[in-house]
Amino acid sequence: MTGFLDSLLGGLALGSVYALIALGFVTIFKASGVLSFTHGSLLLLGGYLVAVLHDDIGFAGALAVAVLVTAAAAGALDRLVLQRAGGTDPHAAHVQTIVTIGVDIVLVTDLARRIGGDLLPLGDPWGSAVTDLGPVTVADSRIAAILVSAVAIGGAFALFRFTPWGLSLRAAAEDREAAALMGVRLTRVRTAAWCLAGGLAALAAVFLVAFPAPGLERTTGQIALKAFPAAILGGMTSPVGALVGSMLIGLTEAFVAGYQTDLHVLGEGFGDVAPYAVMVLVLLVRPAGLFAAKGAARV
Amino acid sequence: MTAPAARTAPAPPALDVRGVTVRFAGLLALDDVSFTVAPGTVHAVIGPNGAGKSTCFNVLSGLYRPTAGTVRLGAAELTRLAPHRIAALGVARTFQNIVTTQGTVADNLMLGRHALSHSGFAASALRLPRAVREQREHLAKAREIAELTGLGAHFDSPVALLSYGDRKRVELARALCLEPRVLLLDEPVAGMNAAERTRTTRVIGEIRAELGLSVVLVEHDMGLVMRLADEVTVLDFGRAIAHGTPDEVRREPEVLRAYLGTTTGEDAA
Amino acid sequence: MSDPRPHLLKRGPLLLTALLLCALPFYLDAFWLRIGLFSMAAAIGAVGLGLLSGTAGQLSLGHAFFLAVGAYGYVWLAGEPGPGLPPAVALVLAVLLAGAAGGLFSPVAGRVKGIYLGVATLALVFLGHHVLLTADSVTGGFNGRSVPPLELGGFTFAESGPELTVLGVPFGAEERLWYLGLALFAVTWFTARGLLRGRPGRALVALRDSETAASVMGVHVARYRSAAFVVSSMYAGLAGVLLALSFRRVVPDYFSLALSVDYLAMIVIGGLGSVAGATAGAVFVTALPLLMTRYADQLPLVAAPGSGDGSIGPTEASRYLYGAAIVVILLYAPDGLHGLASRTRARLRRRPPATRPGGTGPVTAGTATHATSDTTARAKEHTP
Repeated sequence: MTGFLDSLLGGLALGSVYALIALGFVTIFKASGVLSFTHGSLLLLGGYLVAVLHDDIGFAGALAVAVLVTAAAAGALDRLVLQRAGGTDPHAAHVQTIVTIGVDIVLVTDLARRIGGDLLPLGDPWGSAVTDLGPVTVADSRIAAILVSAVAIGGAFALFRFTPWGLSLRAAAEDREAAALMGVRLTRVRTAAWCLAGGLAALAAVFLVAFPAPGLERTTGQIALKAFPAAILGGMTSPVGALVGSMLIGLTEAFVAGYQTDLHVLGEGFGDVAPYAVMVLVLLVRPAGLFAAKGAARV
Repeated sequence: MTAPAARTAPAPPALDVRGVTVRFAGLLALDDVSFTVAPGTVHAVIGPNGAGKSTCFNVLSGLYRPTAGTVRLGAAELTRLAPHRIAALGVARTFQNIVTTQGTVADNLMLGRHALSHSGFAASALRLPRAVREQREHLAKAREIAELTGLGAHFDSPVALLSYGDRKRVELARALCLEPRVLLLDEPVAGMNAAERTRTTRVIGEIRAELGLSVVLVEHDMGLVMRLADEVTVLDFGRAIAHGTPDEVRREPEVLRAYLGTTTGEDAA
Repeated sequence: MSDPRPHLLKRGPLLLTALLLCALPFYLDAFWLRIGLFSMAAAIGAVGLGLLSGTAGQLSLGHAFFLAVGAYGYVWLAGEPGPGLPPAVALVLAVLLAGAAGGLFSPVAGRVKGIYLGVATLALVFLGHHVLLTADSVTGGFNGRSVPPLELGGFTFAESGPELTVLGVPFGAEERLWYLGLALFAVTWFTARGLLRGRPGRALVALRDSETAASVMGVHVARYRSAAFVVSSMYAGLAGVLLALSFRRVVPDYFSLALSVDYLAMIVIGGLGSVAGATAGAVFVTALPLLMTRYADQLPLVAAPGSGDGSIGPTEASRYLYGAAIVVILLYAPDGLHGLASRTRARLRRRPPATRPGGTGPVTAGTATHATSDTTARAKEHTP
C-alpha cells in the first residue's frame, strides 16, 4: 500500500512537471503549427542559469532570472529565426520544426560543453527534506513540484481563457488565415506563445533535477522529450488533453519504476522509457491521440 | 488527332447520385441531393458560392463520406470506397485551386497513370525490364495526352514555371491520364483569361467527343456551361433546386432568384 | 525523365567517378579510407532517410533504431551466441530484419503523418536503446558485442584473412572494406534512383505535396506511407551492417537519438529528395568531426579532444557547425547542397535552373505550385 501511494504521489509530481513542458508544446503548436524540438535545450538553459546564479542571488532570484531569460530566449528564437524560415511555403511550419532541431543541436552542444561531466546542484530550498503524510513519506521537492506546477498551470489556463492573447491563440489554432484577416497579429501571438513555453520549461527544469534526482547534467534536456508523448496523447492542440496526458505519462513512469521487481521482464530502467511505450500503444489504437478535436487527421 | 484512351469499354456506366446528405458539425452542406449523369454526357452542377458544389465533388471522389445517400457508378457503390479505389474505377477529378505536385509536367501526368500501371517498389528499385518497359509505354501515353491538351511544348518543364492557365491544364491532363470513364472538373476555367478559357473549353469539347466519357462540371462561367452542358443541376444551400437542359434551367424562376439573379454581373466579368 | 543524350555520354561522369573511387585505396592511407568507409555507410542510411523524409515528407527520428537493428541483426545472426549463419546470409537477413521492424511499426507509420511521425519515432530510439541495454543474451548489454567479419567465397573483409597485396599495396581491413562499402553504396545508388524515378517515387512525392491529389489519382495513401517507411528501414539496416563491420564492435550508446539527428542533418544539408544530395550531406556530417579531430591542433578555437573543461573539442565544434548549417540552409538555401550544385550547373550552362524557385522545404517540402491559402483550407475541408 505504501508502495502504491508512493508511486501515486511520485507519478503526480512527475506528471505535473511534464505538464509544464507539454503545455508549452501545445501552446507553441496552437500558435504556429511548429513542434518544438528546441525544448530540451530551453530546459537545460533554464536549469543551467539557476545552477550558476543561485550562489550569488539566491534560489528565488536565480529562478526568476532563469524563467525570464529562457522565456526571452524562446521568444527571440521564434521572432529572429523561426519566423524567417519557410517563407510562403504552405508547409512552413514543418520547415520551422526542422529548424528547431538545428537550433537544439547548437544550444545543447554548447550547454553540455559548459556543464561537462558535472552534476550541478540548483540550491533549491527543499533539498532532500521529506514530510510525513499519514502512511507515506514524501520528498518536499515533490510536494513543491505539485503545488508550483498547479499554480503555473492554473495561471496558463487563465491566460488561455481570460486574456485577449488567449482568444487570439484559439483563433489562430482554428484557422490561422482567418485569424489574420480578423486582425489577430500572428507574429506577436506566436512569439508570446514561445515566451510562455520557454518560461514553463525553465520552471520544469528546477523540479526535474530536484531531489531525488541528483542534479543538473548534460543529458537533463532529453527529459523534455518525454513530454512529447504527453502532448501527443492529448491530441497536441488541447491544453486539458496535455494535462491529462502528462499525468498518464507521469503515473506510468512512476508505477513502472515502483513495481520494477514485478516487471523485471521489461528490463531494468524500463520506467524511463515507459512513456514512449504508452505513446506507441495509444497511437496504434487512436492515431490522432486521445483528445484530438477537429484537427483529428493532423496527428 | 488520335484518341489516347485505350479503354475498350464502349460507353461509361451512368453515375447515379441518390439522396446524398452531408452534415458537418450540425451544418447541412448537402441535403438529399439526387441526380444522374447519363453515359457520355456533360452534366453541369451550378449554384452560388457555398451551395455545396465542391462538397458534392468531394463525395463523388470519395474524400467525404456522406451522412446518408448513395453514389453508384454502374453496379459499383462508390460511397463506401476509399478515394484511390474510386480512381481505379475510372473516376478522375481536378481541383478548384490547382493542386499539382513538384516536378515536371511529365511527372504530374505520370502520376495520373498511377492507377493504370503496376510497378511496385521492388520492380522499380531493381529496374526490372518490365518496369522499364511499363514506364516507357506510359510516358508515351502521357506525352500523347499532353499534346491533346496543348501542353506538348511544356512536357519536360517544371510545373512551377508554367502560367496559371497552363497549370490548370496540367490538372486536366493529369486527370485524363487516368483514362477516366467519368471526369469531374471543378471550375476548369476559373481565373483564366479569355484566350485560355476559349482554349480549355475547346479541349473539353474535344475530349468529350473523342473519348466518349461522362463529364461532371462545376463552373461559374455560364457561357461555358451553356455551351458544353447537356444537363444542369442547380444547387442552393445544399439542396438541388432545379434540373434540366441549360435552356430549361435558365428559365426556371427559382434559379434566377437563387443564382443568376444575384451573381450574373460577376459571372459576366 | 527522357534524356536524348546518348547513354555513354550521360553515364560518362558516373563511370569516371566510379573508377576514381575504385582507385583510391591505392593512394590513400587508412585514416582517409576510414573516413570514406564511414561516409559510404552513412550515405546508404541517409539515402534511406531521404526517401522517407525528403521524398515522402514523413519525418523520422527513429533512423538510429533501424541502423541498430541492421547492425545487431548481423552480429547476432552471424555470431556466437546466435545461429552463426554464414556472414553473407546474415547480412541479407539483417537488412530484411530491419525492413520487418519497419513493417511492424507500419500501423503507426502509415497513419501518422508529417512531423508528427517524428515524435512517434522518438519512441523507437528510446525503446530500442532500452532493449539493446537489457537484452544481454542477444546484444551483449552495455558493452555490446564484437562484430564477426564478413566472408564471401573464402575472402574475408578484415585483417584476419590470408595476407593480400595488390599492385604492391598491402590490403588490410580498410582497403577490403572500402570495396565492400563501394559495392553496397552502388547498389543503394542504383536502387534508390530507380525508385525515385519510377512509379513509387512519383506516388511518394505526390503524397508529400498533396495527400488529397495523390489519393484521387489512385495512390493508396496508408500503404505507400508504410512502404516508404519499410524501404527506408531496409537502407538503414544495410548502413547498420556496414557500420558494424567498420567499427568491429557495436555498442548501444552509439545508436542514440543524436545519431538519428545526425542523419536528419545529412539529408537537410544535402538537400531533400535527392540521392546525390543525401550522399553529399552524409559525407559532410561524417567527415567533419573526423577531420576536425585529426587537424584539431591546426584549427583556431578547437582544442584537442579531452583537453580540459570548457574548451571546444572537435566533436563539439562539428556539432556547432552542422547544427548551424541546418538553420542557415533552411533559412537561405532550402534545397541544400544539391540545390546549390544544380543552380551552379545551370548558371554554367546559362539556362534557368531546373529546380523550383521556391526551393524544397524539408520533410513536407511544399510546392510553389500550390496556392498557399487554398491548400491549407482544403486540407482542413477534407478532414471533417
